[in-house]
This record gives sequence, C-alpha cells and structure tokens, in this order.
Amino acid sequence: MNHWAFVTAAYVVGLGGTGAIVLQSWLAMRRAERAADELRRR
Amino acid sequence: MKAKHQRLMLAGLGLVAVLGASGLALSALQDEAAFFYAPADVAAKAPPTDRAVRLGGMVEAGSIRPQPDGVSIAFVVGDGKARVPVTFSGIAPDLFKEGSGVVAEGRFRADGSFAADNLLAKHDERYMPPELAGKMAAAETLEQ
Amino acid sequence: MIHALANPVRFLKIARPLTPILLFGGLGLLLFGAWAGLTRTPPDYLQGETVRILYLHVPAAWLGMGGWTSIAIASFAFLVWRHPLANLAARASAVPGAAFAAICLATGSIWGRPTWGTWWQWDGRLTSMLLLFFVYLAYIALARADAQRGGDGRIPALFGLAGTVLLPIIRYSVIWWNTLHQGQSLTLTKSTIDNAILWPLAFTLSGFSLLFGAIVLMRMRALLAAGKVEARMRRMAAA
Repeated sequence: MNHWAFVTAAYVVGLGGTGAIVLQSWLAMRRAERAADELRRR
Repeated sequence: MKAKHQRLMLAGLGLVAVLGASGLALSALQDEAAFFYAPADVAAKAPPTDRAVRLGGMVEAGSIRPQPDGVSIAFVVGDGKARVPVTFSGIAPDLFKEGSGVVAEGRFRADGSFAADNLLAKHDERYMPPELAGKMAAAETLEQ
Repeated sequence: MIHALANPVRFLKIARPLTPILLFGGLGLLLFGAWAGLTRTPPDYLQGETVRILYLHVPAAWLGMGGWTSIAIASFAFLVWRHPLANLAARASAVPGAAFAAICLATGSIWGRPTWGTWWQWDGRLTSMLLLFFVYLAYIALARADAQRGGDGRIPALFGLAGTVLLPIIRYSVIWWNTLHQGQSLTLTKSTIDNAILWPLAFTLSGFSLLFGAIVLMRMRALLAAGKVEARMRRMAAA
C-alpha cells in the first residue's frame, strides 16, 4: 500500500478544512461589519 | 457585590462537580470501557467464550509460525505477566511484527487459546527515524 | 479590572489590528510547518511516511479540546460577571473548536487505516473525541436557538460548563483504559518522539493556535457587528 496516498489525503482534509473555516469566518466578519457601517452612515 | 460572589461560588462548585463526575465516570467505566483483554486479565479471570472479544498485548519474539494450510499463522501474545496462544487466518496489517503491539478480534476457546478473525496493529508512543531505530536495536543486541 | 478589558470599544481597538497579525502569522507558521513536515523530516521506523499526518492530527486534537476549554472559561466568566463579551467569546469558539475536532477525527482515521489496519474502532480515545464533536454541535445549536429567541445566554453557558466533563475523559482515556490508541507521546516534561521527527510540530502547533485566535476574533467581531445592526434596527422600528 502506498503511504503517500494517505498522507496526501490527510493534508488535503486538514489544510483544506482549516482554510475553509478561516475563509468563512472572514467573509462573515466582513459582511457583518459592512452592514453595521452602512447603517451608521445612513 | 454579594450576588456576584454567590454566582462565583455556584459556578465554581458546578465546575468542581462536573470534573468530579468525570473522574467517577473514568474509574467506574474502567473495566467496562476496556477495549481489549490483556493476557494478565485472562490469567486472573476466565474470559467469556460465548461472544466475540478482543485480546491485546505484545507479539512475542520468535513466536510467529506459519501453519501448514498456508493461510493461517499461530503466535503468542504476552504482556510480561501471562501469555496466550493465538491462531489467525487472513491478511495481517503491515505493522504486525514480532515484538510490537497487536489487538486481535475473535473468540477465546475453552482451552484458553484465542481464535482471531481480525488483527489490528497497535502502535506505541515512540516515534523515531529508521537509522536511530537500527542503532537502538544494535545497542540492545550488544548489551545482551 | 475585568470590566475595563471587556468594554466592546476597547475590545475592537485591540482586536482590529490583532486579527491580521494572528491570521497571517498563523498561516505562515502553519504552511512552513506543513512543508517541513512533508519534506524535511525522516519517515518513522515503523509507520513509514504516514507519521507525517501527526503534524496536523496532534494540533487539531489539542485545539479541538482547547476550543472547549475556552468555551468553559468564557462561560464561567459570563455566569459570574455577566459580561456580554464573555458570552460572545464562548459562542465564537464553538465553530472552530468543532472544525478542529472534526479534522482530528478525519486525519486520525486516515492515519489509522495504514497503521492499525482499520478506519475506525470504538476504543476509549476515539469514542470520547467523537462525543466531544457531537457536544460541540449541540452547543452550537443551543447557542443559536438561545440568541434567536432573545435568551440571555445563561443556558448555553451552563451547557458549556457541563461539557467540560469530557475533557479529562479524553485526556486520560489512554492511561486509564486499554485502548487501541497509543499512550501520550508528549507531556509537559518529556517526549517519546525523536527530535528529528518532532520539530515541525512546533510550527504547525503554533500556526494552528494563532489561526484559532484569529478565527475567534473574526467571529466575535461578526457577532458584535450583527448585534449593533440589530439594536439599531430595533431603535429605528421603535422611532
């Protein structure tokens, strides 16, 4: 059995999952802060 | 001020109670939650023979013998206190080796031996590069 | 003293510049650690190349448990001092904590197949970690429902405190019970992992930790901003 297949799969899951949660948090923050800023300007 | 101290006390007590419950769960489940029987457990108390259980320990050095039928192997699982003979037919995992850990799934026979229908390699907590492992093995041989 | 720190305006003054520092610092450390773990270390004498999964699995496990530790501390602070920022901190830790617990379970399973010869076994360590993941999901659902119904956050905080019961069970499962999972390699004072294999773990561990901090700050800022919008809407509706 080739071990690198398992290593690659684990790194895709680990780094991909971390990237996804970082991106989602950043987008949610940007959306919420923009909405707050716009409301203040009005 | 007083209400805050009261809440501090209550929350602190709650946390202590939760951690206490955790400790109780750990010790109460100690026998029930064991993943496998060790050979010493088998020697101390006869294991059930009527249902599938697991047996875990070290594969004794020099004990793996291929059987005449070509697909089965026999070996001995020990933990330094007791030993149990095991038979297994099938494909063993890569890390199944003499002198390393194993968890066998199967049933105990009436004579105290174990018939395994699946083997899991149990890894230990040591990690090292191959050269170092080679050196350590050489050092051990020299000491003997 | 705690109230001075817990003022939202003061919090934002610190959190705004801190977020990119943690985010990019964490990403840099993590990517360097992952690269080093993939290319700069020798394989293990028994496991071979699959040992490299440890550079992701161990930090994910620590942060999966660390996430609940911060939920517990923040819940405790919220219950005692009733400060809304503590409540936000607890809620903001839940999703990243659950994500890291899931990554820990997934990478562990991928490591278990070539090493143990099985994707999954109901052993003490694996089962208690899976339980923690479900407890995270329950907390997330509970906190969301509580916020939507205009609850004061006390019920999720009590749940956050109660869930702490799992942390010692996970930690000591490999010592107290016979488990398939190996015993601890790393304790505060010693390590049974050779230094040639161990060193990238320091980078991935600190990288993941900084990223965890960045995620919590970003989620707290999102929750704060959403609260501001909601308050203003309510005032506008009343006017």
